[in-house]
Amino acid sequence: GGGGMRGGSKVVVEPHRHEGVFVAKGKEDALVTKNMVPGEAVYNEKRVSVQNEDGSKVEYRVWNPFRSKLAAAILGGVDDIWIKPGARVLYLGAASGTTVSHVSDIVGPDGVVYAVEFSHRSGRDLVNMAKKRTNVIPIIEDARHPAKYRMLVGMVDVIFSDVAQPDQARILALNASYFLKAGGHFMISIKANCIDSTAPAEAVFAQEVKKLQAEQFKPMEQVTLEPFERDHACVVGAYRVPKKQKAAQ
Amino acid sequence: MALYLLYESAPGYAVFLANGLDEIGQNTEAVRNSVTDINRFGKVMKLAGFSPFKSSQDALTQCNSVSEGLMTDELRNFLELTLPKVKEGKKPKFSLGVAEPKLGSHIHEVTKFPCQSNEFVLELLRGVRLHFDRFIDLKAGDLEKAQLGLGHSYSRAKVKFNVNRVDNMVI
Repeated sequence: GGGGMRGGSKVVVEPHRHEGVFVAKGKEDALVTKNMVPGEAVYNEKRVSVQNEDGSKVEYRVWNPFRSKLAAAILGGVDDIWIKPGARVLYLGAASGTTVSHVSDIVGPDGVVYAVEFSHRSGRDLVNMAKKRTNVIPIIEDARHPAKYRMLVGMVDVIFSDVAQPDQARILALNASYFLKAGGHFMISIKANCIDSTAPAEAVFAQEVKKLQAEQFKPMEQVTLEPFERDHACVVGAYRVPKKQKAAQ
Repeated sequence: MALYLLYESAPGYAVFLANGLDEIGQNTEAVRNSVTDINRFGKVMKLAGFSPFKSSQDALTQCNSVSEGLMTDELRNFLELTLPKVKEGKKPKFSLGVAEPKLGSHIHEVTKFPCQSNEFVLELLRGVRLHFDRFIDLKAGDLEKAQLGLGHSYSRAKVKFNVNRVDNMVI
């Protein structure tokens, strides 16, 4: 306990450019999200309590970019994360649910996060985390086979994919064909090593972008996750962009 | 030739009847454009039957079977009640679109209902998924509640079953 973010009154929390994300301004700035379950940390992260003018308190959780690729992408200056209050998100490669818990904070009580993780060991942590966060639907299943969990998932606005598999573009495409609405968005974290450890990272990213374009995705931006992750990029874009919309642009 | 669709959801099984598919065309591109608009899609797709699961335990049993591509007795009963009868020696005048071919072949094996799973069926099912709560009389948030309960019981069972095995390996 303790640490720089404690000490209440000195810390000011301001909204970030991305709706549902905040910045705590203290000794050092930190990315934070509004805690859906005040009083509880998910992975021992620090919490910041801020008193409103009317005396009520709001609690935020510090979001560590070294432990979350989504946080790293935000600090990397990504233009739009598409995940916002009320959004319905399918999260592939949820692991123990650290990032998922922040996505749960962002989408809030009106949003939903379908969190898919195949490893049973991290899955156990994920299921436990979801017990306290009723907007997280845990799905312990293989993201390669969306048909297996088709009963559990509705149509979503955004897919976030962090599966670190050589065939990750195909995995994303398959899930999108079931669950991502036309005009919806995707974010995919690409670890160059996982796809081809012999080619330069930039070449691997370009090759993955091409694969996505072949699957009705329209990549819109790419940010590096340096200095938080080595040879990682995050690609963001739209799915099945309606033709009319294209003409209007 | 009439086309029925099986849609498996967290609250229950649903069968839809696709009417006047000729109007929107049989090709995937035309279907893609028509499914997003509920006014167009609602004219084409009619709910033929809905069978809610009896309990959360029942929902889990059905979900596990659907996931494995197997038809349960409950699904069989529902299909036999909802779809037209297949007369022996006569070619059926309809088919049932199913999301996943393995389940389709199991249904066909047992009931003789002709089943199909292809890109066209999957496109129509995307439309059903998008508009499902408008077809079934559900209150706002009810669908998510059913998904939440089922997601937890489905996942808890998986973790329990396999985590022990992992723990044993570690020891």
